[in-house]
Amino acid sequence: MRSDCHKAQAKVYHYLDGEISRYRRWRIQRHLRRCPPCTGGFSFESKLQQRIREDCVEDVPEELMARLTTFLRQNGPTDTSADPTAGGSDV
Amino acid sequence: MADQATFESDIREFIPQLYSAALRMTRNPADAEDVLQEALLKAFRGYHTFKAGTNLKAWLYRILTNTFINKYRQKSRRPSEVELGELEDLYLYKRLGETGTGGASRSAEEEALDQFVDADVKAAVEALPENFRLPVLLADVEGFSYKEIAEIMDVPIGTVMSRLHRGRKQLQRALWRMAEERGIGTGS
Repeated sequence: MRSDCHKAQAKVYHYLDGEISRYRRWRIQRHLRRCPPCTGGFSFESKLQQRIREDCVEDVPEELMARLTTFLRQNGPTDTSADPTAGGSDV
Repeated sequence: MADQATFESDIREFIPQLYSAALRMTRNPADAEDVLQEALLKAFRGYHTFKAGTNLKAWLYRILTNTFINKYRQKSRRPSEVELGELEDLYLYKRLGETGTGGASRSAEEEALDQFVDADVKAAVEALPENFRLPVLLADVEGFSYKEIAEIMDVPIGTVMSRLHRGRKQLQRALWRMAEERGIGTGS
């Protein structure tokens, strides 16, 4: 594998996630125009991300939605001052 | 500062996404419901601490993630600490393409991808250790940025990147194992 391919492939996720500088993006796009195998690989990764997004979405069962609505209404206004985002999470 | 009176209508649109995420986190509907219910209650009680105009979706996911971690982490502490080895870039693409010739406009690899069913992809996501599953869910399913994920999970952004990228490759390895079992992409 050529070093250009290696460099582009190492950044495939940064590229697809849009977490990359404009200069790097431009360099990768230039490489992809010249390299069908890398273009195929990037396209595949993008398609796989899309599959993951689509396949992991579920409908909320109607009964659950009804239970949640009731639950929220029952637990009416309260004046606790706790910050709900606080708390351990060093996963 | 947000108004508790509008909580239900403000967050209602996020419930399907939150439920899907809770399902992938807990891997079963009963636990998903528990986590979601507890997270929504915490969010409701703390809604006055939410700054209106900031990212409500990220705020809700942070609460959901914390609730999940606090509730289930003890059970899965050991498996969640498993470190994954390094896999090469474009792992699945290269495996699926090993028998193909390549160069076609619509690649054989992408056609092979279509042979996986929804349940395969869900199973591959759920098979990831928790440390890696959460960033993959938050990025690929929910579309959060690395920075948002770092805030939601309360870890440095470098850790997010490393776990997300390795988690995705691990997911690809799980899919490749299924492909091998079924002869997907091997030309057979």
